[in-house]
Amino acid sequence: MRRSNSQSAREFAGFALPGLFLYGLLVLVPIGWTVVLGFTDRNRFAAATHWVGLEQFQRLFGDDQFWLVLKNTFVVTAIVVVVPNVLGLAIALLLDRNTLLYRLLRSLFFTPVILSGIVVSVIWQSMLRPGGVLNRFFGAVGWLSDPGIALYSISGILCWQMLGFCVVVYLAGLNGVPRELYEAAIVDGAGWWRRFGSVTWPMIASAVTINTVMLLISGFKVYEHILVLTNGGPGRNTTASIAFDVIEKGVRGDRIGFAAAEATVMLAIIVALSGVVLQVLRRREVHL
Amino acid sequence: MRSRLTVTLAALLTVALAGCTQGGKSASGGPSGSAGGTVELTMLTFETPNLPAALWDSAIARVEQKVPGVKIKKLVTPNVDRTTYAKQLASSGQLPDIMIAVNPQGFAEGGQLAEFSQDDLKDFADPASGAIKGKIYQLPTNAQPQSLLYYNKDDFAKAKIAAPPKTWTEFLADCAKLKAVGITPIAVGGGGQDTFASMYTWVGTVGTDVYLTDPDFSKEITSGSKTFDDPSFVKATDKVAQLAKLGYLDKQGTSRSYADHEKAFRAGSAAMYPMGSWFATSADNDKPKFGVGVFAWPSDDGKAVVPNLTGGGLSVSAKAENVDLAKKFALEWTRDKETSDAFTKADGTFNTIKGYQPPADMGPLFKETLAIYNQAVKDATVTPALSIEQGDNGLPADMTVPVQQIAVELLNGKSDAKAAVTKLNKEYASLK
Amino acid sequence: MRTLRPIGAVALAALFFFPVYVVVTGMLKPVKDIQSSPLGLPTPPTTANLDAVLGREDGLYWSALLNSVQITVLSVVALTLLSAMLAHYLVRSTARWTRPALLMLLAGLMIPPAVILQPITQVLGAAGLMNSVIGVVCANVAYYLPFGVFVFAGFIGGVPVEMEEAASIDGASRFRLFWQVVFPTLRPAAASVMIFLGVWVWNDFLTPLIVLGPESGTTVTVGVYRSVGEYSTDFGTLYAFSFLASLPVLLFFVALQKQFVAGLTAGAVK
Repeated sequence: MRRSNSQSAREFAGFALPGLFLYGLLVLVPIGWTVVLGFTDRNRFAAATHWVGLEQFQRLFGDDQFWLVLKNTFVVTAIVVVVPNVLGLAIALLLDRNTLLYRLLRSLFFTPVILSGIVVSVIWQSMLRPGGVLNRFFGAVGWLSDPGIALYSISGILCWQMLGFCVVVYLAGLNGVPRELYEAAIVDGAGWWRRFGSVTWPMIASAVTINTVMLLISGFKVYEHILVLTNGGPGRNTTASIAFDVIEKGVRGDRIGFAAAEATVMLAIIVALSGVVLQVLRRREVHL
Repeated sequence: MRSRLTVTLAALLTVALAGCTQGGKSASGGPSGSAGGTVELTMLTFETPNLPAALWDSAIARVEQKVPGVKIKKLVTPNVDRTTYAKQLASSGQLPDIMIAVNPQGFAEGGQLAEFSQDDLKDFADPASGAIKGKIYQLPTNAQPQSLLYYNKDDFAKAKIAAPPKTWTEFLADCAKLKAVGITPIAVGGGGQDTFASMYTWVGTVGTDVYLTDPDFSKEITSGSKTFDDPSFVKATDKVAQLAKLGYLDKQGTSRSYADHEKAFRAGSAAMYPMGSWFATSADNDKPKFGVGVFAWPSDDGKAVVPNLTGGGLSVSAKAENVDLAKKFALEWTRDKETSDAFTKADGTFNTIKGYQPPADMGPLFKETLAIYNQAVKDATVTPALSIEQGDNGLPADMTVPVQQIAVELLNGKSDAKAAVTKLNKEYASLK
Repeated sequence: MRTLRPIGAVALAALFFFPVYVVVTGMLKPVKDIQSSPLGLPTPPTTANLDAVLGREDGLYWSALLNSVQITVLSVVALTLLSAMLAHYLVRSTARWTRPALLMLLAGLMIPPAVILQPITQVLGAAGLMNSVIGVVCANVAYYLPFGVFVFAGFIGGVPVEMEEAASIDGASRFRLFWQVVFPTLRPAAASVMIFLGVWVWNDFLTPLIVLGPESGTTVTVGVYRSVGEYSTDFGTLYAFSFLASLPVLLFFVALQKQFVAGLTAGAVK
């Protein structure tokens, strides 16, 4: 196709520009802005802002609290990536029948996925508080008051919310496995585990990828659940995630420069993670 | 299928756009037109079970009448943390024109608030309270003791405690008696978003052991002449740690939201409830099944200490469309007897405007609380309240959340005094 | 085994669904029953909690609903159109910069809002769009654009280019070509983009909380957050508000369940 310059400029302006403009202005510029702020001493109430080089980063890495929130974030992310993936697959295998009952159950499992984090947190807080429903069965467990438990309670709630997503994706993956492959395996005398390992598992590989990417993103940016359930406590930052801490310091607090440095580190981790994710996605593309 | 999708889409769009134009006026926001000689000013309020929307609406309507030319647009914070929300708004250039009970620290130094003159403040009993570099940016409208020890009279009777303790030793002995008969001595809070409710025990012991002898402690911290390692502060902190260690605190409470905390005490979860004076009116308005008494924090040598914050009034943005009118509104709000009565009844505050008398029909617990406060004023045992006091005499605003969270660690026994003060020093150092 | 599977599946689902049961039955009970018998059925059910939310004096629920509908509809429509066009341009263009541009967009898929929120308010403030529905829509469009482009690009890649070329030989302009020939073939992708973004935008918390500010009211999701402080222990009302805030999105789900699953799984079974 040969086009005149003005025509292609018009096409660019019509098709690509509006989206790219908004994306640039409200995503790329803010990212750059955050990174730049990380090298300053910007404080909400200070009259002047100074360039301080790497000072904020040095303070950040010397701050126990930063390592604590980073550790919390990784704990939550790891749990959220592993648990719904495993349970989701198990439940998908259980529900892999195409009758009304199983379709209905699938919808039940999916419901929490479409609820907002705020609503989910409100529901669980009402059940986990002292005197709430759950403590009627388990005695007085400090679900949200014991610093050794609270982070796992929050992770568990996230798992509950994301489980249905994994179930549905795995069901679709299972649906795509040709029957003949199973039949052939049965003829070969393969048991359930062999069939799962040699037929099912390779065929649902892309479902695993989708779920893992999705869970990674949701786990890493967890914010609302913490806000409503524990506000970062009980105790100093025992459940605060890095996203929570960035907002606590930069949006709710005054130390914008420091928070920007922390956000920049968060960004670097995200870039590294997406690099890995993209690599995996690409390899799979070649694979299929 | 295709046409149906298009039709649905078109319909939805129309609704959305129609809504937009309809809501356009309110959506335009900002300091909008001063048509007809009236100025529209925004006022940031907050809602709690004690201070519902209707109470604010009627007060605003009443004071509007007294300040001609002002039309108030009420804004509501998404939770009780006004100061944080005001910061969020300020950071995007939306600081409301008038705010109530927002800690002026930071805003004032940053030149974002209008200063009240000596003349404006001539009717206030404590006109220098909450000053920032000697100037007042928030009307010191109310005295509000926080905290006092409210107690369950039935529980005290069961444990054969004849009268409230006068000294710290007696207090510990009474806790032991309560525990011996199977009653949790002290209720604590601080769960969910309401981390602030974790403070009220520590506020008490820091009142008796630090501020009573050294009311300038916070100032000394900020000037660097003292640290949290100060022996008196360590001792006060250790008192809370000991209460936790002895099993006198209801640890589970640290996951209760503030309102749930009060509800639990009303349901008999513990014998004592360290809380601000607003609980007095709450208990008067809706009596628990048991009798409630109140006493001040007992010091080692038998003084009755009342940690208190005088402040909580209105502030005015320096960029309000009409600062003078906004200030006038703020002062009229404070002088309006009906509004003061409404807040006294709802929130148990003591208005400090000269000549103000609370309504005669206030309940018994409020009167008891007021009497304790007045006695403490006479005895000079009113102290600042840790993490709650503001201005020149307060810690930096960014210390508030760390202090509250470290308080929870004391309450649930995960931290001792030494660890807590080390953490505080570290947090403080990281702010600079 | 034959009977074990349905029994096991139902039991598991019941356990899983328990919190939702607590909410739905709880909102139909008087508050004291929520405390005393959280598991019991509401007999007889009461609508007092729902009435309390719907009949609030300040009309919080209804104004929030209007905001949520406006924001969601405008965001989703704008996103669908802009991301379809952008994806088409990037996939079909031969220019060298489109590949890095696509990668740049993909990287945006994982950016947490916390990282960019503060500067976004500055940009929107400078544009005079803070405190407005349009401001939230702009922020949403920018933030979710990568997802839309990602889905559409994958889909367009699978549509043969010959069809477009044939039409362009007929002399149709690129715009007409896109709307009349290309876009109709993208309908399945458009459905999944609209469904996903619809749910996400509806449930968004931080952006409307900060960008919409207090003057333009709230969305229903922020409204739930606000009522946590206000109702606190009145779980009946809190449940009712949560339910009413989620109701539109639940209905949306029930109505479009098939497309939901299809959209979710388009990638799962390549």
